[in-house]
Amino acid sequence: MRDTRLSLSDIRSLEGDVAPMTAKIQALQTNVHYGDKHALKDVTLDIREGEVTSFIGPSGCGKSTFLRCFNRMNDTIDGCRVSGTVMMDGEDIYDPKIDVVQLRVCGGMVFQKPNPFPKSIYDNVAYGPRIHGLAANKDELDEMVLTSLEKAGLLAEVKDRMESPGTGLSGGQQQRLCIARAIAVSPEAILMDEPCLALDPIATAKIEELIDELHENFTIVIVTHSMQQAARVSQRTAFFHLGELIEVGDTEQIFTNPRHKLTQGYITGRFG
Amino acid sequence: MSEMTVNASRGARARELVAAGIGRRYRAERRFRIGGLVAIISALLFMVLLFVSIFGKGYTAFVQTEVRLPIHFDVAVIDPQGLRDAAEMRGANYGKVYRDGIQSLFPDVASRQDHRLLNGLVSSGATFEIRDNVVKSPDLIGKKQEVWVPASDDVDMLIKGHVDRTLPEGERRMTDKEIAWVDALIADHRIEPRLNWRLFTQGDSREPELAGIWGAVMGSFLTMLVTLLLSFPLGVATAVYLEEFAPRNRWTDIIEVNINNLTAIPSIVFGLLGLAVFLQFFGLPRSAPVVGGLVLTLMTLPIIIIAARVSLKSVPPSIREAALGLGASKMQMVTNDVLPLAMPGILTGTIIGMGRALSETAPLLMIGMVAFIVDIPGGFTDPATVLPVQIYIWADSAERALVERTSAAIIALLTFLIIMNAAAVVLRGKFERRW
Repeated sequence: MRDTRLSLSDIRSLEGDVAPMTAKIQALQTNVHYGDKHALKDVTLDIREGEVTSFIGPSGCGKSTFLRCFNRMNDTIDGCRVSGTVMMDGEDIYDPKIDVVQLRVCGGMVFQKPNPFPKSIYDNVAYGPRIHGLAANKDELDEMVLTSLEKAGLLAEVKDRMESPGTGLSGGQQQRLCIARAIAVSPEAILMDEPCLALDPIATAKIEELIDELHENFTIVIVTHSMQQAARVSQRTAFFHLGELIEVGDTEQIFTNPRHKLTQGYITGRFG
Repeated sequence: MSEMTVNASRGARARELVAAGIGRRYRAERRFRIGGLVAIISALLFMVLLFVSIFGKGYTAFVQTEVRLPIHFDVAVIDPQGLRDAAEMRGANYGKVYRDGIQSLFPDVASRQDHRLLNGLVSSGATFEIRDNVVKSPDLIGKKQEVWVPASDDVDMLIKGHVDRTLPEGERRMTDKEIAWVDALIADHRIEPRLNWRLFTQGDSREPELAGIWGAVMGSFLTMLVTLLLSFPLGVATAVYLEEFAPRNRWTDIIEVNINNLTAIPSIVFGLLGLAVFLQFFGLPRSAPVVGGLVLTLMTLPIIIIAARVSLKSVPPSIREAALGLGASKMQMVTNDVLPLAMPGILTGTIIGMGRALSETAPLLMIGMVAFIVDIPGGFTDPATVLPVQIYIWADSAERALVERTSAAIIALLTFLIIMNAAAVVLRGKFERRW
């Protein structure tokens, strides 16, 4: 399956009728073990730059695990082993020479449950620039915070109460605050792990709108349980099942003309 | 149809059973509530009893009977050469000055033995107080002045009603003659209970009327300072390492078991350890607050470590993920996010540990802090004692006048503890953050 896809993209670039897509993140034969459990099996996948890629699949299929490989968040879990290769911009991120801190600046993460720090809204967004020393002075920091909030579509709602606690916002606002916090360090990719899980439909719609706007500037990977969401926001979709990558392709193709029986079963609601 | 009737009869039976049992359930709840109320009320009663008994015994220690004597600051006795030299003035015979004062009040007392009895009405501490007065203001020399000096502890006890006048003379501390003199002084308005400032400014003394708790308070303060400065940073750092950095394996399990064990070791064992290690091996000074602080640090550390680990554990993992996901290093995550959130719990644990250290007696006996020390300790290596040990020493003494001082020392200790715990509550409120 991998071979067909590679050759397809080769043909495309030869023909030149489709703009060549550079891969932002490439995973080759990636395996993840949690102790004895083989959570991710031989996954090979490209994440293209400037696109939204969504990972779908039933619970426990390894999609979140795979996402966490991209900024080595799995390192923080005891007994977790990652093998194979994960490349970002052509560099192996599991190379011992790679600094995890720098890597995580490149790939910001947004989690299932909004997890703002129990600090003010301003301090939440300023957190990244502060710990990395990105702003030379207060004005620069202010500007970073404001543009990040603006990009996250939250500025209008919070500009009068920047000093009130970030935890006092509504769930959807908190999640957008977390997105603002992630983009404040100007990452290249944003990794979202079921960002709308804890949100109501209206807040979800706002986040989806935001993802749509953000993908012009950032490469976005989103793990989701909602197939409608995957269909709405992503250009490419990858379907995982029991730790294996079953199928990957353009979102439209996956949802209208899945090649694999499992994919078809999942998207038509026969299981999962 | 038949299934429905079966279901209906089952439902009726279930409702019957619930109805039958409901009274018992509510009774159980009521019993538990009453039990809790009884427990709390009896605990409060015991606390009231403790406070009433201590304050009842101790409040008289805050006043001290004093005698007003006509003192003649005689040039011939104090400064015969007229040099106004401080050393010279210090060395003068002030005992004669105050003895002349009291004897001038009773000119008809003649025998040598009676004179001695009469002198005994006034505390020997009067000597030093008159001396200090003169050294401070040499203008007094040559003048006559009425001066308040402390009465002896026996007179103090008589005035405070602890000497039974109805007992036969041989069975009480004071003879009829002495009591008659005291009555004469009272009639002359020369005896009065006055504020006992010595209690708050002096160290221990062989004379109960001169004994104060300030030495023990300073000793406690210096010891606690050493304990806090050592155990807080060490304890928090240990907890952070074990909780955030150390791998989970058999070694860390063994360490955890041992730390938990340390809290249960009798404090006297820590005292013996301190004696062997700090005094005998490192040769640190005996009776010194620095050694007391070190020993109490050993006792306080496990309490702080355990409290700090528990409160670090209670910080939600999502905060750690948020920090790490933004590229914070582990150290930044700990200092920026985890520690501030864990701080209220850590502070509570620290104050509990410090409270226990403040009231600890046994280990300090082993390192010599039980010594009789008159001077106020000024540094970490000066010989000192601490409040609980002072209470122990006084409670163990025979003098009646020390009973009330023991209670006064207990009041001081309780005040310290209340201030510390109140500070804990305030600090916790200040650091607490909700989300």
